[in-house]
Amino acid sequence: MNGRRFAPVLVGLAVLVSGCAKPGAPASAPPASPSTQSFPITLTDDDGVSVTIKAPPKRIITFAPSNTEIVFALGLGAELVGVSGSFDDYPPQAKTITQVGGSGDFGVDPNVEKVVSLHADLLLTISGGDQWKTRLRELGVTVFTINATDFEDLLHDIRTVGEITGASTAAATLTGGMAAQAQAVQAAVGHEPRVSCFFEAYYPPLTTVGPHTFIYDLLSRAGCDSVTANAKSDYPEWSVDQLVAEGPAVYLVASESGVSAAAVAKRPGFSAIPAVQGGKVFLVSSDLISRPGPRVAEGLMALARLLHPAVFST
Amino acid sequence: MTARSRRWATPALGLLLVTSILAAVAFGAVAIAPWTTARLILWKLHLAARPTGVPDSTAVILFQLRLPRVLLAALVGAALAAAGTVFQALFRNPMADPAIIGVSSGAALGAIVVILLGAGGALDAMGVSAAAFVGALLTAFVVYRLARLGPSVQVATLLLSGIAVAAIVSAVISLVMTFSGQNIRSIYFWLLGGLGARGWQSVIAASPFMATGIVIAMWSAHDLNLIALGEERAAQLGLDVERFKIVSLATGSLLTAAAVSVSGLIGFVGLMTPHILRLLVGADNRRLLPASILGGASFMILADLVARTAVRPEEIPVGAVTAVLGGPFFLYLLRRERKAARARA
Repeated sequence: MNGRRFAPVLVGLAVLVSGCAKPGAPASAPPASPSTQSFPITLTDDDGVSVTIKAPPKRIITFAPSNTEIVFALGLGAELVGVSGSFDDYPPQAKTITQVGGSGDFGVDPNVEKVVSLHADLLLTISGGDQWKTRLRELGVTVFTINATDFEDLLHDIRTVGEITGASTAAATLTGGMAAQAQAVQAAVGHEPRVSCFFEAYYPPLTTVGPHTFIYDLLSRAGCDSVTANAKSDYPEWSVDQLVAEGPAVYLVASESGVSAAAVAKRPGFSAIPAVQGGKVFLVSSDLISRPGPRVAEGLMALARLLHPAVFST
Repeated sequence: MTARSRRWATPALGLLLVTSILAAVAFGAVAIAPWTTARLILWKLHLAARPTGVPDSTAVILFQLRLPRVLLAALVGAALAAAGTVFQALFRNPMADPAIIGVSSGAALGAIVVILLGAGGALDAMGVSAAAFVGALLTAFVVYRLARLGPSVQVATLLLSGIAVAAIVSAVISLVMTFSGQNIRSIYFWLLGGLGARGWQSVIAASPFMATGIVIAMWSAHDLNLIALGEERAAQLGLDVERFKIVSLATGSLLTAAAVSVSGLIGFVGLMTPHILRLLVGADNRRLLPASILGGASFMILADLVARTAVRPEEIPVGAVTAVLGGPFFLYLLRRERKAARARA
């Protein structure tokens, strides 16, 4: 049994899965705006591939729960004929749509035959999976990749999805609302002293986020001075020695990590961390912060409230 | 190797172990001077007053994180090296390693099943280790039963049964991983091996089994020399061969199961440590076993030190470090030895 063989696939998978978390409350989608753009349209996607879309897609498959949320939020739920899998649980209607995922060595690739049989005219996905993307393109399926690296990039991605689906107006409304919420958070915590904090993405091993990740950007915007600012990789395994020495004042745990605040406090060495001593260990909904989709603004507000409770209590 | 260097090898390895422990305790994300460590230990033993000017966090790092981790590394390295030595002698096969009769695969399957069943909090507890331990011993037992025909166990049959069972179990693991969703990160972590997570709990849970295994292995070192001559010769020289095979299999499996259950799958140490030490101290198991135990412990401690500090404050999987560091060293020794042998000829 040799686990090393799986390394590259699993690292990619960890990133993919972290982009797929679970639900909250339904959001009301604006009605699909009539297409005002001209088709065909040619854009370069986040994989660097030039993609031409001939007409507003009528049969869309989303491969990533974040993309499913974006498509619903743009009022295109009726055009959605396939989603990735059981993670695609928001809004609740998504759960009734055909699932195309669960293929490949690790069950994270789309089933190529199923995708083709759905006669999709657009497959909207995220980074990774070059092999099946190439295969689908050879079979005539239009594949478009978006990969949000931070909040601004997410707004840009949503506008791009609006452009390629003929829903630019809805995208403008949606991103305008999200930008306003981010602005409100900035106004509330921007002048506050930053709080030293640590974000646990997973345990064990103690895994956090590096400065070039989407979640890290949200943390910074919410007023977190992360102790992982010097991390070199995106999802580093973090030394507990270092964590105890840094002594963050707030300890945030992604809800998908699956532990309670009490369980965190009981781990060896954690009793010396100020956040644990001060009862500042909080669970954060993974769905709201690790899925680059429309609910991220809500997640940003939730983070800001945890980091700066005094600002929001008045 | 001269007889003189062989005589000095064991004390030298003992010294290496002590040095490794001191270095590994001192270095990490935060450096702790040996003097500070000594003062803190004296204070913990109620032999001195609390040292002033040492932050609380340093004491916590030393006692709750670093010491248990270094000790666990030593125990795991010693157990894997001892198991490798026993299996190589028993199977008279240089390819034999602690995983040879499916023990590691069985442990992995046990751990993975519990990781998948036990949501969240269960992972913090020792449930995964316990399941790995049970899975390892069950697999060893199944392999043994499969290989046993009538009153005796053929070593070759045992080897083949072990390889076949390990292959089946590995395939089941791949299948299970396909459906494991988010837990795949815990599984991946476990498969790569690591010593970090559970502190003293792991040390306390594993050390009785490891100590028992090491004592039995040392005690049977002379008999391992006999069995290395072949079963017939060993029987002529008065060894109860069948009974000895069972005892050795059980010992090796116990050592491996205990190590794997607290550290995950750490390759290389069990396979290569006996070979490296054989080049230094010769093939006599009475000398080789203690040397392997000391060498395996030191090597594991140093590999974990590298894993903790190479890209500080991030950590890298210790299993990758053991192979990357140990492989070239072994190849160097092997070539040097062969060259020397050719020069003598």
